[in-house]
Amino acid sequence: MRHSQADVVVTATVAILSAAAALVGAPTPVTAVLGIALLAAPGYVWVTILLGSRVAGLERVAVAAGLSLAIPVLGGLALFAAGSGLTRVAWTGLIAEVTLAGDVVLFARRRTGRLAPFAWPPRRRRPPIRHVAAFGAAVVVAVSAVALARVGVALEPRTGFTQLWLTARAGHEHVADVGVRNHQGSTTRYRLVLSRHGGADITWSLTLANGQSWHHAVPDTGANAMTADLYRLPDLGRPYRHVDIGVGAPGP
Amino acid sequence: MTVAARFAGMRQASPGRHRSAMAPASAARSRLPVSLVALSAATGVLVAAAAYTAGRLGHASSPWADRAYWLGQALILVPAAVRFLSRRALTDAEAVTVVIVLTVAEYLVKICYSPAAFTYVDELEHWRSTVDILHTGRLFSVNYLLPISAYYPGLEEVTAALVSVTGLSPFTCGVIVAGVAHLLFVCLLYLFFRSVSHSHRLAGIALLCYASNSHFQSFDSMFAYQTLALSFFGLAVAAAWRLSSPQTAGKRAGWVTVAVLAIAATVVTHHITSYMLVATLVVVTLASLISGSWRSAGWPAAMALLSIVAVVGWVVFAAPETVTYLQPTAEAVLQAFRTFFGGGHSSGPSLSAGPLGNRALSGMAVLTVTVLLPVGWWLVWRHHRRDSWTLAMAIGSVGWFGLVAIRLAVANGSQLSGRAATFIFIPVSYVVAVAVAHLIGAAVRWQARVAAAAAMMLVLLLMFDGLANGWPPYWERLPGPHQVAGFERSVGPEEIAAAEWALATLGPGNRFATDFGSYPVLGSYGYQDPVRDDAYLYTSRVFTPADASKASAQSIRYVLVDRRLSQALPVTGQYFRVDPNAGKYTHPLPLADLEKFNHIPGVDRVYDAGNIVIYELAGAAYAP
Repeated sequence: MRHSQADVVVTATVAILSAAAALVGAPTPVTAVLGIALLAAPGYVWVTILLGSRVAGLERVAVAAGLSLAIPVLGGLALFAAGSGLTRVAWTGLIAEVTLAGDVVLFARRRTGRLAPFAWPPRRRRPPIRHVAAFGAAVVVAVSAVALARVGVALEPRTGFTQLWLTARAGHEHVADVGVRNHQGSTTRYRLVLSRHGGADITWSLTLANGQSWHHAVPDTGANAMTADLYRLPDLGRPYRHVDIGVGAPGP
Repeated sequence: MTVAARFAGMRQASPGRHRSAMAPASAARSRLPVSLVALSAATGVLVAAAAYTAGRLGHASSPWADRAYWLGQALILVPAAVRFLSRRALTDAEAVTVVIVLTVAEYLVKICYSPAAFTYVDELEHWRSTVDILHTGRLFSVNYLLPISAYYPGLEEVTAALVSVTGLSPFTCGVIVAGVAHLLFVCLLYLFFRSVSHSHRLAGIALLCYASNSHFQSFDSMFAYQTLALSFFGLAVAAAWRLSSPQTAGKRAGWVTVAVLAIAATVVTHHITSYMLVATLVVVTLASLISGSWRSAGWPAAMALLSIVAVVGWVVFAAPETVTYLQPTAEAVLQAFRTFFGGGHSSGPSLSAGPLGNRALSGMAVLTVTVLLPVGWWLVWRHHRRDSWTLAMAIGSVGWFGLVAIRLAVANGSQLSGRAATFIFIPVSYVVAVAVAHLIGAAVRWQARVAAAAAMMLVLLLMFDGLANGWPPYWERLPGPHQVAGFERSVGPEEIAAAEWALATLGPGNRFATDFGSYPVLGSYGYQDPVRDDAYLYTSRVFTPADASKASAQSIRYVLVDRRLSQALPVTGQYFRVDPNAGKYTHPLPLADLEKFNHIPGVDRVYDAGNIVIYELAGAAYAP
C-alpha cells in the first residue's frame, strides 16, 4: 500500500526536525510548532502500537494524549534517576527517542503484518457551510475574548510607585547597596540623599524611565548608621521614600 | 411527529438499558445545531471577558458587571443543557462536540480572569517549581509554599518539557498543559459514562451534572498537580473498564501497558488522586463481586493491587513527607466527625457565610442531589444490579452524604468538601443523571415537555450553584483593584515587585513574616520562605521580648509590612495565614501597630515602596 507508513515518516520527521531545531537554536515560532508536534508524536505512535485499530475516534485521541503527557512524567524521572540534568537537549532527546523507537517498532510490525497499514480515516460527509461558518465565527469570538481580557490587564489603572532600598550587599561584608526603581508609569526625576552618620551626605539627581532602575555600592563599615531619603521632584519638602540601616543600638 | 409518538420510542428503550434513553431514532432534529451552541458559548466567553475587563477598569462592584458575568455563563451553559436535555435527536458526534465546547468555553473564562500571568495561589506554587526545574535541571527542589509538591513533580516535568521543546514561556506552557489535561479528563469521563450507560445522551447529562461540582471550572482546570493527575486517573479507569470488558478478551496486552503507565503517572503526580484511584478500583472490584461478575473483578483487583504497591513504594522511598503533610487534615476530619456524630458542637463554618442568594442556591442544590440520588439507586437496583460498573457508581455515590457531613462538621469544611467533590461527583453525577433521564423518559404526553423543562432547570440549578459557590469566591468574582488579605486580587504589581526585589537582592530562602495577601507572592515570585504563624508581629503596639524570642525561634529575618492592612478589613476574614482573630476583626489594624518597627533599635528599614515596607531583624541582638 502506497501510504502504509506515512504516519511513521511524518512522526519521525517531526522528531528529527525538533531535535535539530533545539540543537541549532531555531526561532521560537519554529520551535513552538515543532515542539507541540513533538510532544504529541509519541502518544500517537505508541497508541497505534499498543491498541492498533481496535480503538478509534475520541477514545483513540484521548489515550494518545494521555500517553503523550505520561512520557515526560515518567521519562523525566528516569532521566533524573540516571543522573542526567533535565535540560532542553535532554527533554528533546527523550521525547524524540521515544518517538523514533516507536516508529521503528511500528514500521517492523507493519512489515511483518502484525499491524494494519496506515490508512486515512474514511471521508465523512462535508458539514453544511453555515455550520462551518458558525464554528469559524465561534473561534474568532473566543480568541477576541482572550484578547479583550489581555487588553483589560494592560489598561488596568494602577497606582504608580517607586522602590527604594538600602541593604548590605550579599557576599560583601563592607559594601551596602542603595538603589531606586521607577514604577510610576512614566519618566520621573528624583533626588536621593544618602546620609552617613559621622560622614558627609552624598546626593544624586536621577532621571529614570518607567521600569528603569539605578543602584550604587557604598562602603559600609557597619559601625555607622546610614539613611537614604528619596525625593520625588519637584517636591523637596518631605522624603517620598526612606530607608535606614544600623540606626540605634541593637535590640533587647 | 407528536410528543406521544416520540415518547413511545423512549419508553421502549428506557427500562433496563439507557442505550436510547430519551433519544429515539425517530426523534426530530434539534433546532439548535451544535455550531450555534459553540457560537453561543464563545459569545458567553466574550461577555464574561467584558465583565472582567469592566472589573479591572474600576467596576468590580458594579451590579451590571456582575450581571454581565452571569449572562456570559448563561450563554455557555444553557444551550449545552438544552442540547442534552431536550427530547430532540442528538448524535454521538454532536454530544462529544457539546462536551468539548462546554469544557473549552469554561476554561477560556478561567484564562480571561488571569490572561497574562498566574494569580491563583495554587498556580503560583507550581509555577515556582517549574521555574526551578528549568533553572537547575533537577527535580525535588525545595518549594517553600507547598513543600509536598516537590515530591510529586509530574505537572512540572510536563511543563518544563514543553517549555524546553517549544521555547514558549512557562506561563503559556502551563496554560496549555493544564488546558489539555483538563479537556482530556473531561473527554475520558464522557467516554467512561458513555461506555457504562451505552447512551451518549445520558453520558452528556452526567457530564453536565459533574460540571456542577464547585471545583470544575477552577481547581480542576488550574495549573496545579491535581489537574494533570486527574487525566491519568481517567486513563487508568478507562483502561480498567476496557480490561474488564468481555469484548477486550484476547487483546489486553496494550491496555495493560496503558494501565501500568497511567497508574505510575498518577502516583508520581498527585497524592490524593492516587489514593482515590486505589479507592475507585477497590470499589469496582467489590461491585463486581457483589454483582456476581467474578471474572471481571480480576482486572480491577489486579490494578488496585498494583496501585497500592506503587503508592506505598512512592511514599516510602520518594515522598515520606506525604504522611506528615496529610496527617493533620486527616486527624482534623476524624476528630470533627467524632464530635459531630457524638452529639458535640460542630466545628464547621457557619452556614451564614456568603450572600443569601449563594446560600439559597447551595441549599437547593444539596436538596436536589439528595432527592435524586435515591431515585437513581432504585433504578440501578431495578435494572442494573448485575452491571458491576453501574453498581460501583451507586456504591461510590453514597459518598455524597460524607461530602455534606464534611461541609457541616469540619472546620474549613467547604474547602475540603470541594476538593473531595472532584472525585465523589463522578459516581454522584452518573446516578443523578440516571434519575434525571428516567424522570424525563417516564413523563407522558404534555407532561413530557414539562418534565424536560423541569430537568433542565434542575441541572442548570446545579451548574449555577457550582459556579456561584466555586472559585473565585463571590468577593473576587470579577478581577479588580487590590483587596486587603484577598486571594487573586492581592496579587498585584507592588507585591510582585517587592517579591522580585527580595529574590534579586536578598537571595532565596529567607524566612519572611508577611500577611495573607503577600504570602503566596513572596513564596513564588520571591522564592522566599514565608512564615504562617506571624500575626503577633503585627497586632500589638510594642515589640516585646517575648515577640523577639518567638521571632528568633521561627528564624524570621525579614518582616514585610503592607500599610494597606490599616486601611481595610480583610476580605477573607483574616489578615494572616494563621490568624487567632480570624473573623473577629471589626476595624482595620492600627497603622501604629504596623509602623512600630521604625522605632525599634537595631531593626533596619531596608526597603520602602510606599505601601510595602520591609524590615530586617538581623541588626537586632535577638534576631537569628
